[in-house]
Amino acid sequence: MKLTSLALAAGIAALSASTVFAEDTIKIGVPVGLSGANSVVAPSVVQSSELAVDEINAAGGILGKKVELVVADDGSGAVGAQKAFDSLIFDKGVNVLISMETSAARNAALPIVTRGKVPYIYTSFYEGHSCNKWMYVNAWVPEQLSSALVDYLAQEKQAKTFFLIGSDYAFGRGVLDYTKKYIEKTGGKVVGEEYLPMDGSDWTAIISALRSANPDALISCTAGGAPNVSLGKQLKSAGVNIPYGNMAVDEGTAKDMGSAAAGMYVSGSYMTSIDNPENKKFLADMKAKFGDELKTPNDLSVPQYDGIYAYKAAVEKAGSTDPKAVIKALGEISVTGPRGTIKMDPVSRHAPLTMYLAQVQDDGSLKVLKTFENVSEGKQCSFK
Amino acid sequence: MALLLDFFTTAALLFIVSSGLMMIYGVMKIVNFAHGAIISVGGYAAFMVARLGIPGWYGWALAFAVGFAIGALVERLIVLPLYNRPLDAILATWGLGIVLIQIITMIFGRSTQLVESPMDGTFAIFGTAYSSYRLIMIPVALVLCAAVIGLLNGTRFGIKTKAVIMNEALAESIGINASRIRFIAFSLGAGLGTLAGYLITPLSSVDPYMGVAWLINAFMLVMVAGSSFVGLFVTCLVFGTLQVLVSIYVNPVIGGMAIAVLAAITLRIRPQGFSHV
Repeated sequence: MKLTSLALAAGIAALSASTVFAEDTIKIGVPVGLSGANSVVAPSVVQSSELAVDEINAAGGILGKKVELVVADDGSGAVGAQKAFDSLIFDKGVNVLISMETSAARNAALPIVTRGKVPYIYTSFYEGHSCNKWMYVNAWVPEQLSSALVDYLAQEKQAKTFFLIGSDYAFGRGVLDYTKKYIEKTGGKVVGEEYLPMDGSDWTAIISALRSANPDALISCTAGGAPNVSLGKQLKSAGVNIPYGNMAVDEGTAKDMGSAAAGMYVSGSYMTSIDNPENKKFLADMKAKFGDELKTPNDLSVPQYDGIYAYKAAVEKAGSTDPKAVIKALGEISVTGPRGTIKMDPVSRHAPLTMYLAQVQDDGSLKVLKTFENVSEGKQCSFK
Repeated sequence: MALLLDFFTTAALLFIVSSGLMMIYGVMKIVNFAHGAIISVGGYAAFMVARLGIPGWYGWALAFAVGFAIGALVERLIVLPLYNRPLDAILATWGLGIVLIQIITMIFGRSTQLVESPMDGTFAIFGTAYSSYRLIMIPVALVLCAAVIGLLNGTRFGIKTKAVIMNEALAESIGINASRIRFIAFSLGAGLGTLAGYLITPLSSVDPYMGVAWLINAFMLVMVAGSSFVGLFVTCLVFGTLQVLVSIYVNPVIGGMAIAVLAAITLRIRPQGFSHV
């Protein structure tokens, strides 16, 4: 009996101690794929999170409280994400979750977010239309990516007929389906649409179909990494040299792909060459903080950086970390970061973004050719 | 014409990729499930060759040597005790494949690596512009085929190997060192695997799993081909053609499964496959 009450008292003491601790700091949970498929990009996401948190703490924190980053590995998969979200929300007691996830991982983790009633800022581009009371998205969706790429190819390259190539999975099919609709809506014609399984590496038949369809332009959306590289190489060796828009390349992978990527058109909401003072400062600070260890900032790591600042602005507007108040405030604030000023919409829960159209140069760097201001995210969610 | 070239080049690639597996299966009736990982090793050999600046055409010898060495080591340490337990040998080589891939990942990381192609662009053949590197694969496959058939039919090693394949006990009783034949055959098979990895690199990406995608098709082709390289050659031609046809006229997703499905059907109807055609 005595022992039980003692244990109970100790428990209460521990509990109150942790409450006091929680009041002193604001914890930002970052579940990312440190292992598995996302392990290529996850380090850059952690780096930009660390920079944002350092800057915020150096400037006095959020509402005078110190900000603490809690990173958890989700193994790049649905099961890992459930564990990571569960542990961050219920064990670590984070105030907010800000991260990129694969669509499968995000869908698996959202019920846990709902149960934990924690705001979640999703910072990865994805196929769109994922809605949850507790979630905001500050990265691009197909509506934004396709329009920039298709408009450029149609207007600047006079492309009227398009050929679409993708990997056979949700993101590839989702993005290309939307792209096809957009091409047809804007008066173009899709003369072929072909998919290869995700682990496929022989594009022979598809390239033959492409040749016989003889389109003005080619748009591809494969899984990143291997399929993207093998397609690029095989197109090159087959002598295909029509304008080629690739939806699965970012600056890091363009470098890895070398000559296979040269000449491709790519689109995105962030490129390191964006010419504004915020981006220049961001790049200089990243370089100063990480030196040789720096992973090239990209269209996943920069929305992460923006997301942390969005949370800061929302908490300051709400005056507390109360989840409901923060969710309301997230739809009212705007943040100006390396991608320009971004305001998430309280109804669609996504954000209009400035999209950049660039061409991969011979050395793998991206040259911005055209800027599309405030491209609408289209119809996503409808919260009131 | 382009379609015909698609048939031939696809068949050539399939032959190059499955010949190493055939060498091992033909002699010892063991399916080397590490073959996919060994192909990946070949890809990384190409990557190292390119990074060290060794002129491209010497690279194939290096790739072959690396594979031969790995094969020799693996045969002595892992496969040797398992000749009488083929199922365990499958498990062991499968595990070995996982280990090899993890070693590659630890050394080079998980991301794709860049290897420049030794030749880009197209070559006009009978009025059709076609990928030069793929075209080169046709003579490469023919030379490879001639070389292994020559080795197995025209040399002393080949005759001994055949003796071991036909009746191991009898072969040993007339003084053939079966264990040595197997050692050489396994090493050769692994060497052919890395060579294949090296050769497909200009058409593929170099990443730890690059060879795994080829394993199932190579396995199916070898099962259908039985134990002769001529059989394998015919099988690759037939199934490569079918794969291209299905990919073009049905769709490429189904085309990717064509070889596995058609091979299963073939073996159901004709269990001996294409051997002794």
